[in-house]
Amino acid sequence: MTDQAVRPGPALALRSPALRLIGNRLATAVPVLWGVTFLTFAVIQLLPGDAAQQLLGINATQEQLREFRDKLNLDDSFLVRYFHWLGDVLTGNLGNSLASDQPVTSIISDGLPTTLELLLYALVISLALTVPIALLAARNPGGFVDRVGMVTSMAGLSVANYVLAVVLVYVFAVKLGWLPAIYTNNTGTLGELVKSLTLPALSIGFPLFCFYTRLLRADVLEQMQGEDYVVTAKAKGVGPWRVLVRHALPNSLFGLLTIVALNLGTLIGATVIIEQIFAVPGIGHSLLEAINNRDVPVVEGIVLVLAVIVVVANLLADVLYAVLDPRIRYGRSAS
Amino acid sequence: MGAQLPEAEAGGAAATLAVAPTVAEPSARRGWTRNLDVIIPGALIGLLLFLCFVWPLFGTVPPPTGGNILDANIPSFSPGHPLGTDQVGNDLWSRLLYGGRNSLEIAFAVNVIGLVVGGLLGAFAAFWGSFTDTVIMRVLDVLIAFPSLVLALAIAQSLGPSKLHTIYALSFFSVPAFARLARAQTLRLRERPFMLAARLAGTRAPRILLRHITPNIMPALVTFGLLGIGVTIILEGALSFLGLGIPPPQPSWGNMIFDGQAVLSAEPKLVLLPSAFLFVTVLAFNLLGDALRARGNAS
Repeated sequence: MTDQAVRPGPALALRSPALRLIGNRLATAVPVLWGVTFLTFAVIQLLPGDAAQQLLGINATQEQLREFRDKLNLDDSFLVRYFHWLGDVLTGNLGNSLASDQPVTSIISDGLPTTLELLLYALVISLALTVPIALLAARNPGGFVDRVGMVTSMAGLSVANYVLAVVLVYVFAVKLGWLPAIYTNNTGTLGELVKSLTLPALSIGFPLFCFYTRLLRADVLEQMQGEDYVVTAKAKGVGPWRVLVRHALPNSLFGLLTIVALNLGTLIGATVIIEQIFAVPGIGHSLLEAINNRDVPVVEGIVLVLAVIVVVANLLADVLYAVLDPRIRYGRSAS
Repeated sequence: MGAQLPEAEAGGAAATLAVAPTVAEPSARRGWTRNLDVIIPGALIGLLLFLCFVWPLFGTVPPPTGGNILDANIPSFSPGHPLGTDQVGNDLWSRLLYGGRNSLEIAFAVNVIGLVVGGLLGAFAAFWGSFTDTVIMRVLDVLIAFPSLVLALAIAQSLGPSKLHTIYALSFFSVPAFARLARAQTLRLRERPFMLAARLAGTRAPRILLRHITPNIMPALVTFGLLGIGVTIILEGALSFLGLGIPPPQPSWGNMIFDGQAVLSAEPKLVLLPSAFLFVTVLAFNLLGDALRARGNAS
């Protein structure tokens, strides 16, 4: 009987708290996604005066202007244009670039893989450093590793990624000549890709590492000082490192995972500027180019895709958190 | 569900904004040295403010723009140009000070707007609850879901580069971040006896908001604002770096770094000096915010 109460059969699955939580999150993600599309459209369409005049310049003839307005339906009201655009977006049509007439979807699919590679590389660098250093710091709070780590991370949090990028270029490309100052991927081999993405990934990854290390250290310390399961483990005679790595760390990692996902929007902003500095042909590079050309459909398309990635990542983090954390999985509230 | 990241930024620096639990470490120091963690960054900020805002008024600082091309690339420690000149002949020291003035003015404006507008919105949402709360927070969720720099870029481009437009664009991030914090803080207060007493005494809502909620949530908001200033300075630099913030020839640390990048190997000081100023300023605000936050948590 008790066994049944704890583990509901398949018929009761839909009443499980985890699924309800996932349903809840999905339900809130939909209005947020809709808001994101609306805001994307509004920012770019509402703010400038006459898009046609701006795009074609002051020398455009009346004919050209009219043709252009027809092409973009600029004479319709804002809401009509919005729903028109939204309808196109829902059928997967993001329009064509005004500058090159290329479909926006192909511009995005050209740049997105490089951007994702860069992001992944930066995340790998930061997390690979964060876990051991945060653990060493938490093992002996106030000790050498902890002090050096905290000072470094405070400094790292105060350095802008573009400053770091320029300084890294100065040291490793100009002075030492170890790594290329700009993205060069002629042969397309993995080695060359890694080599040309190392400085950009470091510029993004180092501040992230500093941020994550502070969070993880604080969280692990909190677990070690306040949680009953740590006391139990210690009382059983589990060694200090094992308590840290096997008991406290997994709990803290859930929290870090959420932060990584929540931080993704920031990270994407970082790639825009870093791609520009290192001439990485990613989606951020295309975005800036489109912004400078006032290429409205491309800007809207890219901003939309980036915003959707952020919303979906947050959603996934929430869901993953719920699935991984037994307290939420079994319906007890996790503080 | 984990600490919500209230604001995003360009360099992972907004990072500091996450409300991480600070483990209070008992200090062995006694007397005024116990306050060194506040005094040192505070003094540094004071010095920077003095240099950027007061010193140019009566010091001998040449104008930051309109330099003569014939004076280009004068080396450091030359008479009249303590740090030399840049590649178009403007005095570097003067540009650093006036650039800092721009950065600090924007950062203060953005955070004051965030504190007032966001703080009121958040407190209002939490106080009223139910439908108002949901609507306000959903709208802010949308803003938070946006890649911050991307939206700032789009807004700055639509409006055109200028100081005022940079403030508008960056306020889109400070407002939701402050609103979230104000809401969380107000929710904590809601069930406290003094709030109940105020309501039972028939105090009207605006008065409760201003006289009972505001004083209680203000310390947290101001501390958050100090950390926000660091983030805003970095974001403003990023916008200026991309040519969408302070329009050249007006100086900003961001556009100075960008301009200097072209001659990085020949004249590294044109990049390294504004970078150092940017770093020290942000560090000072972060250290001060962090120290005050640790105190807030301990009490």
